[in-house]
Amino acid sequence: MKKTVDVSIPLGPVHPCWKEPVRLKCETAGERVLRVEVELGYMKKGIERIMRGRPWQEVMFLAERVCGICSVIHNMVFIETMEEISDIAVPPRAAYLRVIVNELDRIASHILANFSYCYTIEHETLAMYLLNTREIVLDNLERITGSRVNTAYMIPGGVRFDLLPEDAVTVLADLDKVEEEMRRHTRIFETGPLIALRSKGIGVMDREEAIRSHTVGPTARASGVSDSDLRLRHPTYQALGFEQITRTEGDNFARIMVRFQEIFQSIDLIRKCVTTLPDGPIRGGGLCRAGEGSHSGEAPRGELTYTIKTDEYGRVLDIAIRTPSIMNIEACAHAMIADAASIADVTSTFISSDPCVACNER
Amino acid sequence: MTRYLYEKDLRPMKYTILTSTKHDRTVRAIAHRLGMADAKLRMAMIRRLDMSLLENLESRWEMGQKHADGGDGVAGELGCELFTRFIPLLDTETMQSIYDETTTMIQNGLAVDDAITRGRERIRKAVLR
Repeated sequence: MKKTVDVSIPLGPVHPCWKEPVRLKCETAGERVLRVEVELGYMKKGIERIMRGRPWQEVMFLAERVCGICSVIHNMVFIETMEEISDIAVPPRAAYLRVIVNELDRIASHILANFSYCYTIEHETLAMYLLNTREIVLDNLERITGSRVNTAYMIPGGVRFDLLPEDAVTVLADLDKVEEEMRRHTRIFETGPLIALRSKGIGVMDREEAIRSHTVGPTARASGVSDSDLRLRHPTYQALGFEQITRTEGDNFARIMVRFQEIFQSIDLIRKCVTTLPDGPIRGGGLCRAGEGSHSGEAPRGELTYTIKTDEYGRVLDIAIRTPSIMNIEACAHAMIADAASIADVTSTFISSDPCVACNER
Repeated sequence: MTRYLYEKDLRPMKYTILTSTKHDRTVRAIAHRLGMADAKLRMAMIRRLDMSLLENLESRWEMGQKHADGGDGVAGELGCELFTRFIPLLDTETMQSIYDETTTMIQNGLAVDDAITRGRERIRKAVLR
């Protein structure tokens, strides 16, 4: 006779689908998940504490080590906060170069997130295709910045390296290749019947819940939260005519599709930047001064905020970093997974929100 | 209910989260709103909320300030939605009973401020229970 039992199922901290250690304690009644509790603390770096008292030149390198996947935006938001505090202007060419590198990083991050999801739902073929395409993006990141992951490309008042004309031609050619391959991958994802079974209507989070838990980034945009992309308020993106992508389904499928759509948008933005790149210097100069400020930027996972206090030598006296995963992991555990119809959907739903435990624990 | 094999004491880590710069500010603001000591609120939060919710406390508080308890004045004063859906310190049934009791007191002629003070007193007790 079939029997329903109440079981506590711990997932992780070490799990084949997790990229980083985190423990989800699921309480179930039969197949239904009643409640999920998130246990963190397996990779706490204490990076905010390490940053305190150090000069900005050192903190700049520490900032991009908060997260290995979206290191460029940590660099960018930290530097933009320092520029805001010290009233440093950025030359137009440098502003465009920042967008190029930031969007390349976003493409790499979104592809990795979608790879993880496809891997979790056992579509390993598409997962490997995606990783293969990601290599082209990382090669271009290396071509411009000299590094694939921790680029340290942005400095107060500009960027470290210019984009050479021959490199610009290669970047554009590679973007065409990435776009063509991504169209094929998106078609596979959109039309796969087994993918739809594991993704459509699973892990649904409605707009109200997304707002309540302050969900950000593609996770919020997949639930129909409008005006949730900070690029809308960034002057360079405004000049490039950026528009936010939003879907309303709020399920795993929507979250992955928003990332696919944003990849194409990023490709267009990079193309626009490369073809209309203004002439001029890439460094405007300026000194970091004493002050206090808070600045947010749109990371691949959503709103990233740095609150910094500096002294007259540009030393960081106090710093607080609010990463997008703080909001997204919490919303995922308490809104998407809680009350899931099957324990089998917990891993895929968790991965669909693109959780970054390194960001969350800092 | 089965029990976990490896259960860690998470209290020191939860305390570390709550005493970071921004979280500390948020805890103090919530404690001020509820009219209770910071340390007692921290203790209740550590007992009731999981680590990810504690990490997200600041954002939820921010969103709660903007969106919770729109129309109803009494619900807004008591924080009916704020302390159940945005920052789940109380379950909805307990909060509903406190709200019902407060509105009954107002209907029976007690001054609104006095009724809300009594309602808040019950909320404090429920949070610490």
